[in-house]
Amino acid sequence: MTQVAHPSEQTQARESTSGWLVVFSQEMRDLWLGGRGLVLSFAFSLLVGIIAYLVATNTDLNFLEQRESTSLTLQVAIAVGGLLTLLVAADAVSGERERGTLETLLLTPVSRREIAAGKLLAALSLWFAAFVITVPYVWFLGHGVGIVDEALVAGLAVGTLVAVFLASLGLVVSCFAASNRVSLSLSLFVLLAFLAPTQLPAGAQQAWAGDLLLRVNPLTAGERYVSKIVVNGHGWTEDISWLLSPVIGALVLATAAVLVSGRYIRLRGGVSG
Amino acid sequence: MKPKRALAGALVAVVVAMLLAPAATAAGVENVTVTVAPERIATKLGGKFSFTSTVANDTATDARGLIAHLNVLSLRDGTYVDPEDWSSNRTRYLDPIAAGESTTITWRMQAVNDGDFGIYVAVLPESGAPVPPVAGPTIRLDVAERKTLNAAGIVPLVLGIPAALGLLAVGVRIRRRG
Repeated sequence: MTQVAHPSEQTQARESTSGWLVVFSQEMRDLWLGGRGLVLSFAFSLLVGIIAYLVATNTDLNFLEQRESTSLTLQVAIAVGGLLTLLVAADAVSGERERGTLETLLLTPVSRREIAAGKLLAALSLWFAAFVITVPYVWFLGHGVGIVDEALVAGLAVGTLVAVFLASLGLVVSCFAASNRVSLSLSLFVLLAFLAPTQLPAGAQQAWAGDLLLRVNPLTAGERYVSKIVVNGHGWTEDISWLLSPVIGALVLATAAVLVSGRYIRLRGGVSG
Repeated sequence: MKPKRALAGALVAVVVAMLLAPAATAAGVENVTVTVAPERIATKLGGKFSFTSTVANDTATDARGLIAHLNVLSLRDGTYVDPEDWSSNRTRYLDPIAAGESTTITWRMQAVNDGDFGIYVAVLPESGAPVPPVAGPTIRLDVAERKTLNAAGIVPLVLGIPAALGLLAVGVRIRRRG
């Protein structure tokens, strides 16, 4: 929930900084000092810790399986880190609307696009916190087989793209949703739909239709790229085509989120709103 | 009656040809030789390495329809080996080899387990004829152990990171209320 600063403070802030930065700072305070970000990060660390423990205590892991364990932990971190940003972004507009704070926010001398940009960046901070939490686990699992640097760089790049994509998606849904409950459930449903292709049998994934489905889906394509780097030891450019849909998805959705919010952040939700 | 005799003769010829065809293919496999280089490789766990195998056709006719297959196994009991983990491209369908010529294949592998291993390349006909495949000499592979994971070390991380975040969350909440 973004609280409105005193008018004189707003004017000073407006003079010295951009509007989106003011919104971003306020959202960061709400998220992290309000405790929600820390609670979500705590839950995230528990989940990643349990997965890392389960794979690390299997003493029969061979070299390749150890790389697969590192990749698995990293992929879970990317997916769940993206989920966290999605949850926060899906609450960004519809949540303010339901709490009755959107009206005061819209009265501030900050454009709606700047409000959206500030909220989007604040939601992304959860992914970066999740990544920092993941670093020790990746180091532990991967340092023996010499893949820590590659895993962390690939994880940060892909995770950031996925987080931008999902946070932007959540923000768009939040703008249009008639209620916060609709926004959150619809966003989660879409996320599950994006994750569904990972459950395809190996044979179906290798067929052209399955391969295409994995490539056009930013989540599965990004995670496949991470797997190619970490498990198969491929070079950065060898499978760069897998990064195409995460890059396009992040750019398109982020642009759409900022553009849509300029028109559709309204006091009343719903498409016709 | 002549056409009938001719037809019968043709049928016999076809049957004889069909019966002899596998034997001819089998002879093709039996007359190829497989050599490898090098014959001994030493690496460490996770190391990538390669070797070559040369399939030579020692006959006076072309050798067609041959398949070269790579296999790896542990020379010591108790080590599970999944060859798919060691190489993702273990089967090669060879182009025809002219009489007296040879073809060389490069095999790229990664050492997934530590220990003593044997690697060999076998050549067999794609016809599936019931003849023994022709195998090259065994390559002896020594993979040095490398301690990669101390499972006990994960416990402080698994307990410490959530505990630190939990304490931080509680501290922030207490400070806000205070």
